Formats: sequence, structure tokens, C-alpha cells
Amino acid sequence: MGTVMRFEVGMELPPVSKTLAQAQITLFEASGAHQGPSIFTDPETAEKTLGMGRPVASGRMTLSFAVETLRRFFGERIYNHTGTADLRFIRPTRAGDTVTVRGKVASITPEANGSRIAVELTVQNGNGETTAVGGGSAIVPAGLLPPAE
Amino acid sequence: MTHTERTMLDYDKLEIGEPLPSYEYLLTHEMAERYREGVQDPEARFPTIAVKADVGAYHRKYEDAGSVNARCAYYCYNPPVPGKKIRVTAWIADKYVRREKPYIVTEAISVDEDGRLIDRVITHELKRPQEVGKKWGR
Repeated sequence: MGTVMRFEVGMELPPVSKTLAQAQITLFEASGAHQGPSIFTDPETAEKTLGMGRPVASGRMTLSFAVETLRRFFGERIYNHTGTADLRFIRPTRAGDTVTVRGKVASITPEANGSRIAVELTVQNGNGETTAVGGGSAIVPAGLLPPAE
Repeated sequence: MTHTERTMLDYDKLEIGEPLPSYEYLLTHEMAERYREGVQDPEARFPTIAVKADVGAYHRKYEDAGSVNARCAYYCYNPPVPGKKIRVTAWIADKYVRREKPYIVTEAISVDEDGRLIDRVITHELKRPQEVGKKWGR
């Protein structure tokens, strides 16, 4: 039996911040076997496709940061098997940006063998501008929750 | 990775529920390590996020003028094991027009060679990528 986990609506998640360099954006793309110039790696392609003079980071990088934020909060044994993340991308993120994922518990819903803990997520850049919003969740087993939950 | 017999996207003809080509790839240790370095997270266990499985299936069937990820949902079931083959099954989940801009929603599930369900991804892509430059500038 693991340690009892306590959740309440409004509880804040520890934020996760990342500063992006083009080398990391390029590594991310290479890790997915995406070869060749793209809007993520090549200024000319970014200009031609997006009308932007610089590459952008994939929204899935921000999604990965959200997944990390949630995994750290719920623990990998829970999150890696029941976790979700869902983000709407509002503003592009590019090399040089520092993005921070923040979250707070939005709801706790009983399910068959535990409770689904839903979290609201906001991602901001270093200027305080929101780059993505959304949420995530995980199902915490009943055995890890206090009896009242 | 070659894409044969691709056709130019005709948005009006695209059918919701339309299957996209299934495909298989080997998730290598190198891919997993690059992913962890890219996202600066040594504990990251889902390098399949960077594979962009649903969009990869879409591009095996269609060519278009490019797109921008407007929304992405991800469901974790079991972390993939590097060294195993992953099979992707994908389809067109939806399409819609919002503020006169066309979007396509693709969905994919990934299962490894042992039959373990790895993840599910749903992506809303704006199929008019120049809107990004118009809105956010250079």
C-alpha cells in the first residue's frame, strides 16, 4: 500500500519551466524521425509555410512539458498509465523562449476504482503571455485516497 | 521514409471516419534518448509524442500546403519500450470550419509488437498555416 494522496479543488501543481534552444527543438524533431527542413527547423520553410521568419517549436513540445508537469504531480505509476493532457495552442513558441506550465486541480470525480483528478493547465512565456491552455487528468486508485474521497 | 501515392488534399472531399494508412516503426533507444534531451526531461517515457503518429499517417495519404497544430490531446496507457516495434492505426476524426478557417482532426492509437496499448493522440490542425504569420508576425 502506498502513501495516501490528498487532493482538493484549487490545489496548485508545482510549475515546470523550460528554456528552449533551437538545438532542443531540432532534437525533438529528430527523435520522431522527422528529417529534412520543416517549420520547426528551417527559417526558409517557416517563412514559406507560416509567413514567419524563424522556426517555431512544435506544439507537441509544449504538450510534453504538460505531460511532465502532470507526471510529477501524480507520480509516474499513476500518470503513465491513466494520464491525459489536452492543450489548445494560442501563441507560437520559439527558440529563446522560456515557457512555464502551471496547473491547479479543477475537479475530483469518483470512478469505478478510484477518482479522476482533473487539472486546469496554463502555459506562459517569459513575457507573461499565454501560449497554451487546457487540462489534464489521471485516475488515482481508491487505495491511495483517504476514505472520504 | 517514403510516401507513395499521396494525393493533394481536397478538404471538401475528406470524410470523417476515413481511415489513414497504418504503419509500423521501430522505436529505437536513440529516439528515446533524443526525445528526453529535446524536452529536457530525463524521466520522460513517451517519446511517441514526438513521432506525431496521427499526422504521420495523414501525410502518408495526403499532401497539402502545410498546417499548424491548434490543439492536441494525449492519452497515456503504457510507456513504450525502446527496441520494440510500434504499430500506428489512424483515421480522420473530424473536420470543421471555425472563423472561416478549415481544421482537420486526426486521431491515432499506437500498439507495440506485444499488443500493449501505448497511447492515443488527437490533433486539430489548422490547414491554413499562413494565418499564424498574419496573427503573430515575424
